[in-house]
Amino acid sequence: MKTTIEKTFTVRQPLEKVWSYLSDPAKVVPCVPGAQLTEQVDARHYRGTVSLKVGPVSASYKGEITIETLDHETHTIKLVGRGLDARGKGSASMTMQGQARALDDNTTEITNRIEISVTGMLAQFGSRLIEDVSSRLFDQFTECFESLLSGEAPEEAGQALSAGSLIKEGIKSVAGRFFGKKEGNE
Amino acid sequence: MEAEVRTPPTICGMGHRMKRKEDARFLFGKGRYVDDIKLPGMLYMDIVRSPFAHARIKSINAERALAMDGVVAVITGKDLEKYNLHWMPTLMGDTQMVLPTDRVMYQAQEVAAVIATDRYIAADAVEAIEVEYEPLEPVIDPFRALEPDAPVLRTDKGKTDNHIWHWEVGDREATERAFQEADVVVKQQIYIPRIHVASIETCGCIADYDPVEGKLTVYMTTQAPHVVRTALAMVAGHVGLSEEKIRVISPDIGGGFGGKVPIYPGYVIAIAASVLLGKPVKWIEDRSENLQADSFARDYHITAELAATKEGKITALRIKTLADHGYTDAAANPSKFPAGLFSICTGSYDIKHAFVEVDAVYTNKPPGGIAYRCSFRVTEAVHAIERMVDVLAQKLGMDPAELRFKNFIQPDQFPYKSALGWEYDSGNYPAALRKAMDLIGYEELRREQAERRARGELMGIGISSFTEIVGAGPSRHFDILGIKMFDSCELRIHPTGKAIARFGTKSQGQGHETTYAQIIAEELGIPAEHVQVEEGDTDTAPYGLGTYASRSTPTAGAAAAMAARKVREKARKIAAYLLEVSEEDLEWEPGVFRVKGAPDKSVTIQDIALAAYTNHPPGMEAGLEAVHYYDPPNLTFPFGSYICVVDIDKGTGQVKIRRFVAVDDCGHVINPMIVEGQIHGGLTMGFAPAMMEELVYDEEGNILTGSFMDYLLPTAVETPRWETARTVTPSPHHPLGAKGVGESATVGAPAAIVNAVVDALSPYGVTHIDIPITPYKVWKILHEKGVV
Repeated sequence: MKTTIEKTFTVRQPLEKVWSYLSDPAKVVPCVPGAQLTEQVDARHYRGTVSLKVGPVSASYKGEITIETLDHETHTIKLVGRGLDARGKGSASMTMQGQARALDDNTTEITNRIEISVTGMLAQFGSRLIEDVSSRLFDQFTECFESLLSGEAPEEAGQALSAGSLIKEGIKSVAGRFFGKKEGNE
Repeated sequence: MEAEVRTPPTICGMGHRMKRKEDARFLFGKGRYVDDIKLPGMLYMDIVRSPFAHARIKSINAERALAMDGVVAVITGKDLEKYNLHWMPTLMGDTQMVLPTDRVMYQAQEVAAVIATDRYIAADAVEAIEVEYEPLEPVIDPFRALEPDAPVLRTDKGKTDNHIWHWEVGDREATERAFQEADVVVKQQIYIPRIHVASIETCGCIADYDPVEGKLTVYMTTQAPHVVRTALAMVAGHVGLSEEKIRVISPDIGGGFGGKVPIYPGYVIAIAASVLLGKPVKWIEDRSENLQADSFARDYHITAELAATKEGKITALRIKTLADHGYTDAAANPSKFPAGLFSICTGSYDIKHAFVEVDAVYTNKPPGGIAYRCSFRVTEAVHAIERMVDVLAQKLGMDPAELRFKNFIQPDQFPYKSALGWEYDSGNYPAALRKAMDLIGYEELRREQAERRARGELMGIGISSFTEIVGAGPSRHFDILGIKMFDSCELRIHPTGKAIARFGTKSQGQGHETTYAQIIAEELGIPAEHVQVEEGDTDTAPYGLGTYASRSTPTAGAAAAMAARKVREKARKIAAYLLEVSEEDLEWEPGVFRVKGAPDKSVTIQDIALAAYTNHPPGMEAGLEAVHYYDPPNLTFPFGSYICVVDIDKGTGQVKIRRFVAVDDCGHVINPMIVEGQIHGGLTMGFAPAMMEELVYDEEGNILTGSFMDYLLPTAVETPRWETARTVTPSPHHPLGAKGVGESATVGAPAAIVNAVVDALSPYGVTHIDIPITPYKVWKILHEKGVV
């Protein structure tokens, strides 16, 4: 099943600095919760892992990350990752398209569009949960990336993504919608 | 109308509202289901399942699992291959994997099995097994499956495409001509989605192989224990399982609805494990496994056309259907009927010309094509014709009731030969529809609807006047694995005048222990409470084909009556001996033989039973018992007319069923209370797929409705109030004049609901909505059509 998330956020940093981070998988990937780069194959190919635990399902995807587009003019990067769960629980692929744009000399807007496709146990949770969980992951990524840019050490970068809290948040926001509350308004 | 009652309440024969004998144990929580059975030394099995819809298995590493305390064995396809047990035949002559050796074909397919000393250890060990897959391109859409560049799924069978079979019936040319000559033609695509029976009890078994005696006992959730025994003997004969050494016991079953007819891989793996280990092995599916891997129902993509005169006389029906069978044809139809009894699709109407064709394809989905509480694809047929009649009515601007009356097969046309070859036994369709219209106040509702429409409100009235075809079936056409579809009763009367009756069928909640007892009470005058009914143990019960397709009353119920009549004939001889008169001088009334003209000279059935063992006539065998194998001369054709009234909330798209009147006719009724219960349950299981149920897959073959979080079932909260009534048109060929009834309501209800919703939206140009009619679907239509 596929989920697409698109988010835009701004950071108080000049474009060139932001781009130097955004265009470097070695900097981007550790901010993805549960992700690690294990090997750089060549300039555009990397190997890595993503560990994820959602409720009772844990998955550890091992695979390749490829930089498909790296455009220093438009400040656009497209990363494609594909992985199989090491213990045969399924597969996942991700396409991330990021673009940085200067709003002024010291402010940069980052637009990120991520498409996640999951097969297997995780997919069976159904779109409701996956979307919410992915959205939370994305928020964590954004937070991490911002603190990385501002020079603070990202707290949880690279660690295996924790389970219960995420699924609980997922359920909470589903329940919130169900009862007509605005998301994040519990 | 209540059925005619010929016996006093003390005997409780046909027509009595006898409380169900089996309910005491169910209500006390004392039912005995497979999972209640615990055998000494029993091991537990759990199954590793595929996360992919289509993948090559590169390796299976069970090292970590085998190292765990309590893990006894891990079984893979390679292990079964050594015994040539990795594949098995399906009921439809296709082949199905027990465990794969190289490729998986649907998500949740069995990949390996763990046997452990404890259910929880088995589940943990499943997590520890590492399977390396190479994902392959899946084929999910059945239309895509037929494209030339689609991956070919069954290369193992030497296939070069994904087409399984083509089946057609009717006169193509005559139908073609009728369409050319027609004043009016309507055409509609109708998708009847993949659904699941979702019975309360999931599937499971305990396989108990005794290595000393060489005897295998299998406690199993099956609707057809005898067929399972024979199939096991056929499949596993080469490893030493011989039919006399196999005993299949189907204990209490928590709902079957067709889902417990097939032989699933899990059963076979458990049996193989028990034979290999010499210990009992229990396997019980969890809910998700049941929903994701067991046989589905429906999944028919139908294109239907009706031809008619401008006055509304239907002249021809043409249907073309694509059937998605998953990766193997594991439907549970009679052998000669790959599309089941779909050719009942001319329905309750006198249609002179009809042509139907069905093509089946393979996809990367679970196998199946079982019934979901209907007689072999009858729901698909009924849904198609009942929808099409409304589509035609809308096109002609005619009231759908009027159009039905105009086209019904008339009572004097029975026995009626349909254009697609069936001989309908009996029916009175106009009476059933008229009764339903009177009960619901049809004309008044139409007036109300006109007023509400003028105010912009959405109210709809839908009719379904269905005809079923049940009770398979006559031996000249009907068999499963070559075994003719008779059913059986073995009846023994004890010296004290009590009885035990055993049957080849198997109740899953239908109330056989009561119904069959009432039939025997009716025929012999032995109180129904003293007739013990047993089914489901192949060591004791006579051979039979089991319970599905509303066949128990038409076949085994008839066998009960016939066996009882054989007993009565012997009883008459004994009575003549005891009363010292000739047999012709005796008159029968329930429970008593009297001498004609001297009614105080009599013997009761109890006197006769005692005499059969203590004082039987010279030259006659002792005892009082009979066996009957009933081969029905024809199927039975229950019918009914349902009317549904809905109101639609424009803001939310929510459809509210305001009233639902169901008039059923199943011929003579054995127990009116049980029949009403069956109809209530059936209506709810018709409402469910109409409004909620659907197995949804994404393009990768992930099941998106793999748990009850997403696969919606109605509870008492959502279920409307049902109003039931009946007409009685006996079957002329059934010994009791009875038909079947377990499935009528499931078959007939969805079309009435859809017709009501479409009727509500028809002023805005809506002609059809595929089930399930979810609020979101309606809400989208309301917005697309500019209603809000």
